[in-house]
Amino acid sequence: MFLAYLNLSFGAYFLSMVFYAAALFSKNRVFSLAARFFITCAILALSIYIGMRWQIALRPPLSNMFESLVVFSWDIAVLLIFIDLKYKIKGINALTALMGLSTLGCASLLDKDIVPLLPALKSNWLILHVLTCFIGYAALTVAFVSSVIILCKKEKNANLDNISHKTIAFGFLFLTLGIISGSIWANSAWGTYWSWDPKETWSLITWVIYAIYLHVRLRKRWRGQKAAWLSVVGFTAMLFTYFGVNYLLVGLHSYAQ
Amino acid sequence: MFKRSKIWRFFSSVKLAIWLLSTIAFFSLIGTFIPQSSVYFSWWFILLLVLFSLNLIACLLNRFFLSDHSMGFFIVHASILIILFGALIGILFGQKGYLKISKGQEANSFISRGKRTSLGFSIRLNDFIYSENIDSEERLLVYQRIKFEKGVCDMRNLQTARDAEGFLAEIPVNLGIEQGIGNTGYRIKVIRYVPDFIIDVSTRVVSSRSASPDNPAIEVELKDLKGGIKTVWLFARFPDMRQETGVDFWIIYNWAPRRPRDFISKVSILKSGKEILSKDIQVNVPLNFAGYNFFQFSYDSQNLSWTGLQVVKDPGVPVIYAGFVLLILGLVMIFYVDPLTRGQLNVFSIS
Repeated sequence: MFLAYLNLSFGAYFLSMVFYAAALFSKNRVFSLAARFFITCAILALSIYIGMRWQIALRPPLSNMFESLVVFSWDIAVLLIFIDLKYKIKGINALTALMGLSTLGCASLLDKDIVPLLPALKSNWLILHVLTCFIGYAALTVAFVSSVIILCKKEKNANLDNISHKTIAFGFLFLTLGIISGSIWANSAWGTYWSWDPKETWSLITWVIYAIYLHVRLRKRWRGQKAAWLSVVGFTAMLFTYFGVNYLLVGLHSYAQ
Repeated sequence: MFKRSKIWRFFSSVKLAIWLLSTIAFFSLIGTFIPQSSVYFSWWFILLLVLFSLNLIACLLNRFFLSDHSMGFFIVHASILIILFGALIGILFGQKGYLKISKGQEANSFISRGKRTSLGFSIRLNDFIYSENIDSEERLLVYQRIKFEKGVCDMRNLQTARDAEGFLAEIPVNLGIEQGIGNTGYRIKVIRYVPDFIIDVSTRVVSSRSASPDNPAIEVELKDLKGGIKTVWLFARFPDMRQETGVDFWIIYNWAPRRPRDFISKVSILKSGKEILSKDIQVNVPLNFAGYNFFQFSYDSQNLSWTGLQVVKDPGVPVIYAGFVLLILGLVMIFYVDPLTRGQLNVFSIS
């Protein structure tokens, strides 16, 4: 069964997190290399799982909480490799791996049945909308991780601040793409590009918080700790957009549960 | 000059922008927790957006006079203004309404903001098609009549039902397709499904009380070897209901929730009595004609006799889409093009 690939990727993800954590306490390069090897395995296994699910369902597997969480953890893993190779900051690597693993863990608790698409979801905009949103979410997750590290450290660290900023800029761009594609989709399905439905409104709130982040950083004294707090607030809003709205508020996105 | 005045400095400040953004985010948040909230249409929320627009205009003008021209900055902030402007056009000149058309009927006007608006053509509903995805769990289970009547069949779930004593066959629910029943020699055809069975006692006419599956039932046709036909209703909620079929087996209707697959309005556009075009309107596939967009919006869940179409004419949409494109373009420039051309390390920088 293709479910084996999901379990396989979970195992590889877990090992990669363990090795990234081990690398925090050891100078030995073996740990970092092992972590990279296992995260690559996790990406491969997840890709195969997503691909097979796509083949069986005859549609992109992006239509409910389970499928989106799997794609989300895939995005986080890909970004993790990139961040690791580019910045090599062990704390960020270990915590990002933990975030990705938790995402996959949440997914594994949900119903994995393949159900046919509701008419509202049968659109080519689905792929663009979901992919851009989750690429954005993954980048904002890395920004959150690096912001948390900034807040835990006493001394200023310009490098971490720079990583937060770069990932937020990237995440913000994709969040914008996600909101815009959703808006165009809504207009082509219902004739309304914006209806203040809770999911839309919360995505706007998240977007505005990160817009504020980008503006307050214009002042040097706001960089570091204060900006990091905003990144954490933004991430919380993002989580609420993703989970909270589905489970606590009712709206157009209710089919996404 | 006027750039130095206090009011101008206030209106063009980043500080005001941050305060306005925070306030807008805060009230938007409040609005999501109040059902049917009117926050977003209240005068003070709109005032906030107006202030925000003024702030944007002031920032743009300010930057324009500075020697420091950043194309990305200019495009992004202008694009937000363009999007807000597009929304304003929609509010001022857009039309939005709802059309309920019965099969065979046509409509040539709709109510937009309390005013009857003429389309200038008419739209006729030729047919409405609603289809559902039948879950793979939805099946007919056939048992030996004697065994069933003795109550030895364990029907708690599909698995135990299959393993039960006297189990003969299982048949997927395929509307209108004749299928054999194991090796009984009989053939069965599902001819009708109703989610909420109700029968008019005097006329014996069966219909559905509602769209929700409160009493799902199917009508099947049983055909024996000689071609003799008997029809019978099977009830998911009442498997023990008498089946006057005269056969020595018993059929259980194992129902599972169905999900909607398609809502299709088959319509034609008519101008002075002449048919101009015919099209299927589906969710995600609207019909565009003469600036009007028709969207599949609701339907008659009882008898599928009418369709509900949302009619929209919004001249602001192209403006908004232009704003969208510019916003993306501008962000890419700020984050990835400007830093290259300026050779700066920081993506965002104030000089």
